[in-house]
Amino acid sequence: MSAGKAAAAIVGSGSTPYYFRGESAPQTLLELVDKAIFAAVADAGLTIDEVDGLAFYAFGFDTAMIIEQLGLKNVTFAHCVSSFGSGMAGMLDLAAMGVATGRAKTIVCVGATQQVGRRVGQALGSFAASPDNIFHRIAGLQGPGQALALQVRRHMHKYGTRREAFGEVVMSSRANAATRETAFRRKPLTLEEYIASPMLADPLCRLDFCLENDGALAFVVTSAERAADMPQKPVYIAGASQVGTSDLGRAFFWFGQSEDMFTTAGAGPTAERLYALTGYRPEDIDVALIYDHFSPLVIMQLEDYGFCKRGEGGPFVESGAIRMGGTIPVNPHGGHLSDAYVVGMTHIREAVEQLRGVAVNQVPGAKTALVTGGPAPTPMTGAILRNER
Amino acid sequence: MSALSIRPDFSALEIPMDSWSEPFWQAGAQGRVVMPRCITCGTFRWPAGPFCPACHTQDVEWVDAGQARIYSFTVLPVRGADKEAPPDYRVPTLVTFDNAPGVRLVSVLVDAPVDQVAIGAEVTVEWVKGANAVLPVFRLDG
Repeated sequence: MSAGKAAAAIVGSGSTPYYFRGESAPQTLLELVDKAIFAAVADAGLTIDEVDGLAFYAFGFDTAMIIEQLGLKNVTFAHCVSSFGSGMAGMLDLAAMGVATGRAKTIVCVGATQQVGRRVGQALGSFAASPDNIFHRIAGLQGPGQALALQVRRHMHKYGTRREAFGEVVMSSRANAATRETAFRRKPLTLEEYIASPMLADPLCRLDFCLENDGALAFVVTSAERAADMPQKPVYIAGASQVGTSDLGRAFFWFGQSEDMFTTAGAGPTAERLYALTGYRPEDIDVALIYDHFSPLVIMQLEDYGFCKRGEGGPFVESGAIRMGGTIPVNPHGGHLSDAYVVGMTHIREAVEQLRGVAVNQVPGAKTALVTGGPAPTPMTGAILRNER
Repeated sequence: MSALSIRPDFSALEIPMDSWSEPFWQAGAQGRVVMPRCITCGTFRWPAGPFCPACHTQDVEWVDAGQARIYSFTVLPVRGADKEAPPDYRVPTLVTFDNAPGVRLVSVLVDAPVDQVAIGAEVTVEWVKGANAVLPVFRLDG
């Protein structure tokens, strides 16, 4: 996936409704997945029989069960990016590779979460104890937010980043969600309200933590040639990168990152490769869909992706740069913080809507969109989408 | 938040070990903190594991880690059955060691005045009882 004409495009986008955590029951997780696939295929003007590929991340789903339930007869590509939410954008890379190499013609990318009886926010505590994770158990770090709080504190210590900057990320997200009927947190937020929010994992307060939702989304990827004749305006995959490095390793599951990496979101090498593959620079990106499980990690990713200098992410967001109309509008849909959390999938949906020109909060004339995978264990992934081939 | 951070009860916690991590726990039983250093290139690796990430040698020597210092920490409110009562605080803390560069060990800082915890502060490792081994927690020095 490199500079020049794109080989693949997203031609269909489908979603279930977003539910408050646990409220999608009694539907099963795979039922949600199936519904999202049906919706995406319909959006693409195709029938389910034409699906011959599946691409996943975050350990994926039971491929055989999906094939059984949907009655698929000839799946010639079924692959998964080997990381957590960090692999979200890499799923688009898999799909693009699949169609570019002729492995399959119609690949559906799928992501979903259902938090019945278990919560993503307590994921670390739900793993079986092992020689390598027992120290997190002793420390009392149950979830990603608690663990990432240690990295965030170090960023504040090293660069003087302020809580006001985290608050601006949340306020900006809330302002965007205000106009979105389906968003879960739409009430505008003031800095005073933000500062008064109770600490959950100091320096992270309750409002720094994203939503926890149930839902499923799916995207149909096919070749750019075929996309030209399909009903929806194609959203081309300009490039996607996946980078694993021992400088990051298991990230906050580990805390053994290199000294420089500890105060980043871990996306620097992924960003560098993505820009090299596509020939784009940060200034070429019209809208950024940044994985926002915790508000300070948006700031760290903005640094990783070069929208500002290392350590200057706090002042950058406090200047209003990520608002609609700012230097780089971030998450016009409200993101995981205010719209809904489905492990990054809602960010791809928003990128597609922005590039089709039909987003609720449309960035005028948006031609390029960045989508980032979640700061989590390596490999980290990112993708750039565009609406001109 | 001038309260003291909690000292969790670990007496029922089973420590999983493998052949690479076992020497850490054995030294702990003697009250020592040791870390694995590559016998070829001197790079520390943590957690203990089968290969040096720098030179791919397998064998390590376990050396005294030296003075521990706080690299970062968080403060977690811990609430009991009464949700209206003021919370206790648990302080997950990441430390570095003067004699084991590159190693960061995470555990819990106990009995510490919560508003006095700071990056750079010196801490001592205290070994407390688990189900099948003693395990390391941190205390502020001085």
